Amino acid sequence: MLELGGQTLLSRLIGTLEEHVDRIHVVVGYREELIINLCSKLHRRVVIVRNPDYRTTNTVQSMALGAQGLEGKTLFLDGDLIIAPDSMREFIGKAGTTGILAAIAPSLSENPVNVDLDQGETSQGEKLIKSFTREPGRKFEWANVVAGPARMLDNATGYVYEKLEESIPLNAAVLDLREIDTAADLEIAREFVKSIDSSR
Amino acid sequence: MNRTAYCFDLDGTLTTVEILPCIAAELGISEEIATLTRITMEGLLTFEESLRLRVAILGQVPLQTVHGIINDIQVDPRLSAFIQSRPDQCFVVTGNLDIWVNQLIERIGCGGHTSLATAKNGVISLRHILDKGEAVKSIRNRGFDRVIAIGDGSNDVPMFRAADTAIAFGGTHSPMPAAIAESNFVVHDGDALCKLLNTL
Repeated sequence: MLELGGQTLLSRLIGTLEEHVDRIHVVVGYREELIINLCSKLHRRVVIVRNPDYRTTNTVQSMALGAQGLEGKTLFLDGDLIIAPDSMREFIGKAGTTGILAAIAPSLSENPVNVDLDQGETSQGEKLIKSFTREPGRKFEWANVVAGPARMLDNATGYVYEKLEESIPLNAAVLDLREIDTAADLEIAREFVKSIDSSR
Repeated sequence: MNRTAYCFDLDGTLTTVEILPCIAAELGISEEIATLTRITMEGLLTFEESLRLRVAILGQVPLQTVHGIINDIQVDPRLSAFIQSRPDQCFVVTGNLDIWVNQLIERIGCGGHTSLATAKNGVISLRHILDKGEAVKSIRNRGFDRVIAIGDGSNDVPMFRAADTAIAFGGTHSPMPAAIAESNFVVHDGDALCKLLNTL
């Protein structure tokens, strides 16, 4: 429910997505009433998926739960992201012609899951992830956004990237985004929001 | 064959307005009945107590007048189309009285489970108050593998508990917290609900 540039992160994310997709599911757990109330006022076409077990489940299980009732190509993403609209459009365009497409971003965050990439790119201009690693010193990190079949995360446990390791070598594309995990991230995100909003 | 039954609450879920307040308008006591409806939906009065009270008051309106009022009540067109595309799988499950709403259920075009009442010499007598949980069990026993329930109030909680999937629907007004707490999904738009129902 954090607001940046006069809009909650969730509203901003929904606004970025809704022109490209016909269904948006939002998974709620802790303080669900706040999100339900926000959606009842501003995002009535969004389907809210409840995860009452949010205390004992992790992101990959929430994402699988959120994909119930969805078919075909599905975009899975965290709710604490700010994504540049142009970049989102480009990523969704590529995802439409790729089985599974993971997003990567320049490695900036404090404790990233980095990626090792194959040299070169695919014929579609995508990169190929060879491995995920907690080791520092990589150019790109896993950006917590992936597009693929709706059922791709069913029955997964652990982290999302651990599930994606099953699909390596994995197609990847760079997404211009900021994730907010820490106070330092928030300051970076504020500047990012300003640059996005001023370019509109 | 996987057969799914869809159980819909009537007032404020399928209909775009609550029915009893409309009848109350005939007596000039809309606000009083609306208050009674609200505190019932919030769970402050049991549904049985509230229905007996509301029937005692609204039973003064001639049956023919009630039918005229209900005849003018709109059903959400998207939900109506969904039901008409699979009438054998859809059921109205309402605590409202058979003698009041049977014609409306006939217009909707599917089966119905209601409370039962008789009218004699202008006096309405309640014969049976519907337990929505029992209604779901009896529908399941007709050979359905799965039941999906859609409703908005506290009296939908037994229906939600007996169903496999519960959807709190806020098309007319926000679903009550008790209904949300028992739901898997929260939806605020008829189109979004139909898309979800079509793919669950």
